[in-house]
Amino acid sequence: MSDLTPSTTTVSAQSPTGFLRKDLVQRYSTLVVLVLMFAVFTVTVDKFMTPQNLLNIAQQISMLTIVGAGLTFGFAAKEMDLSVGFSVGLAGVLVPLMLVAGVSLPLALLGGLAAGLAIGAVNAALVTLVGIPSLIATLATGSILFGINFLMTGGRAIYGGLPDTYLWLGQGRVAGIPVLAFFMLAAVAIAWFVMERTIFGRYIYAVGGNQKAAELSGVKVRRYKAAALVVCAVFAVMAGTLLAARLGSGQPNAGERYLLDGLATVFIGMTMLRPGTATVLGTFFGALFIGVINNGLNLMGMDTYIQSIVKGVIILVAVAVVSRSTKLNLL
Amino acid sequence: MEIVLSDITMQFPGTLALDGVTAGFRTDEVHGLIGENGAGKSTLVNILGGSLQPSAGTVQIDGRAVRLASPHDALLQGIAHVSQEGSLVPGLNGAENILLGAEPRVAGAMIRTGALKAEAEALVAKWFPQVRIDLARPVSELPMADRKVIEIVRALRGAARIVILDEPTATLPAREKEQLWGIIRQLPKQGVGVVLISHFLSEIKALSDRITVLRDGRHIRTDPSASMSEHDMVDMMLRRSGGANLRGAAGAAQSTEVVLDVAGWSVGAIEVPQFRLHAGEIVGLIGLTGAGHFGFARSLHNPVGGRCRAMSVAGKPVRPGSVSQMQKAGIALVPDHRMEYALIGEWSVRENLAMVHPSFAGIGGGVLSMQREEAEAQRVMRLLNVKAHSSGQLLKTLSGGNKQKISIGKWLYGAEGRYRVMIFIEPTEGVDIGAKAEIYAEMRRLAASGVGIIIASSDLLEIESVAHRVIPFANQRPGPEIAQSGFSESAFIAAISGVAA
Repeated sequence: MSDLTPSTTTVSAQSPTGFLRKDLVQRYSTLVVLVLMFAVFTVTVDKFMTPQNLLNIAQQISMLTIVGAGLTFGFAAKEMDLSVGFSVGLAGVLVPLMLVAGVSLPLALLGGLAAGLAIGAVNAALVTLVGIPSLIATLATGSILFGINFLMTGGRAIYGGLPDTYLWLGQGRVAGIPVLAFFMLAAVAIAWFVMERTIFGRYIYAVGGNQKAAELSGVKVRRYKAAALVVCAVFAVMAGTLLAARLGSGQPNAGERYLLDGLATVFIGMTMLRPGTATVLGTFFGALFIGVINNGLNLMGMDTYIQSIVKGVIILVAVAVVSRSTKLNLL
Repeated sequence: MEIVLSDITMQFPGTLALDGVTAGFRTDEVHGLIGENGAGKSTLVNILGGSLQPSAGTVQIDGRAVRLASPHDALLQGIAHVSQEGSLVPGLNGAENILLGAEPRVAGAMIRTGALKAEAEALVAKWFPQVRIDLARPVSELPMADRKVIEIVRALRGAARIVILDEPTATLPAREKEQLWGIIRQLPKQGVGVVLISHFLSEIKALSDRITVLRDGRHIRTDPSASMSEHDMVDMMLRRSGGANLRGAAGAAQSTEVVLDVAGWSVGAIEVPQFRLHAGEIVGLIGLTGAGHFGFARSLHNPVGGRCRAMSVAGKPVRPGSVSQMQKAGIALVPDHRMEYALIGEWSVRENLAMVHPSFAGIGGGVLSMQREEAEAQRVMRLLNVKAHSSGQLLKTLSGGNKQKISIGKWLYGAEGRYRVMIFIEPTEGVDIGAKAEIYAEMRRLAASGVGIIIASSDLLEIESVAHRVIPFANQRPGPEIAQSGFSESAFIAAISGVAA
């Protein structure tokens, strides 16, 4: 299952057939584009290739990567979670609210996590027990989460009185490296390990790869679909918790962009490594892709609206590439 | 008018679906088209209906060569195709369905509802004056036979001269069938020929003027239905005598240990009062499509929705519930349509092999050791002589035979000896002859190691060469068992067509 193990790469390298060479091109073309983008920005934008800016990029994409890593579990099981953006937003106000109300930091963090588990459990129950397609169920729960968020905050930001330790999670640095980057790397490492090196991950992929075959191999399909949705929600609330720490306040609207960007990271990731399949490393590179574009265009002084257009085009290209090689069945 | 398909060959990647078939269809006949699944019936009618273009061969209408490049093309030539699944829009009413896409309009956009209803009623009255259907009701509320009639009327609304009816009665309750039969018989009298596909041979026999038999993509015979008995039909559909003989020493090393015992088994319409399987024996299940042998075999591994009075596996009583329960009890299934039911094309060979028992390579906490997984995958690949350049090769790039070996290997990976009952359904579909022999050898090896094997197959030669005894199925019920001494293709054919040999 790992993409970068020697066995798979040597297979492709040894193989004389055109099929596998085409396969090789397909696997790594997005990475090549990413490298080219780095090169172009390095040449054209003054402050792009500086250690400081690279660390900035890492910080900027860390929450997105965490959301994307969660979504990867969902996609691997062929379930979509459209509520992640609102889960990010909810956690991003819930944790600050608790802290402002005097709840201790560990308890507040646990509270956020519990909210994630609850959201995931509701999504999972709607999909696997009630039988609503995940695309629709999570669209509805997302709307509910948004409503709860604004009921709690009245749409106003929550700031002042947030403990320094909490703010350090989002803003601090260790040896010059943002703490957020460590969280991102930990999330990627854990998600990668679970997906590629455990029975749990293998079954998630089996359920998404061929549900009928998984069922007839004795895999409890509903259980793994449910688990994938819970992971989506839990990663999203972790991202939301960190997001508020980074912003230094709980912003009710801050989570929204994480849905579209999160989906984009997964789609871009699906064009590489194992084309058509969501992988954790692919998603990580997908987040890097988006981060580099945002950052580069920013430094070039481009409007955020232009960034939005560029991002939309990139998502379309990525999905076009994926659906040309495999059937995209997401519903 | 006569349409003649000459020397039609259809090559799909990996399979030759039609091999030089010639057949003619006329407007003054009901022409029955029969053959087992995979014989090429659907491919042939899809070519006739314009949905498929043949790799080679010609189509002529009254001696003039035509090209049927699309269903629309075929329709212009007077050929309409009423598919098996039904193509009505459930929410629309009968009239709207009959005139779908050809509605009378005002200003090119708005439908004239009154005219629509009148026009549809006129069409029904023209073709089937005796039929009464409420065309104002949504078709989803109509009886199945009425829905078929609506589909047929829609097919006839243009200038159809030949109508292809693919399994028109498959979804119909018995009393509605007769109504449709009347309609089918009537069509040739009105100058519209029928090409009829049906699994019900009695129906084919009763309705057809001529019958064409296909087998393995070849044309076997076309003759007036009066000169063909049902037994003849089954014989032609199934007999493969003269093919490669893969018979090995089917050693009758059976023990008296019962590895599977079920009583009062019922799933869907299938009823099996009693079934016993011994360690070391290979039992063949045969029957025509829909006879229940495949359904029974599948349900032993996936009993969801079935009932039984008693079941035991290797002497232990089991309450059939879920697939995982049956697996735990020791029942494995190597299904047909392996890419759909058994394997994941985008996965490597190694991951596919580890699909059932990934925990074999577990090192605690659900964590996998890649070394152990690789070693076990290599062992199974060697055991089954899988030809792949490494265990990392993507499954979808393997040949049919090697894929099938992986489908079997899933049950051997980390589980040698765990399964006492192994069920094989069409184990050599799309498998070349060399791999076929290897798969039979593996089945024999497993049997010799004490596994009881059930093989359900439509390839009677295959059954003859690997089974120790055979249970023929007809009408969802098992018939009297055939012992090895009584094996012959004729005996099998007689048993499944319900005629004494």
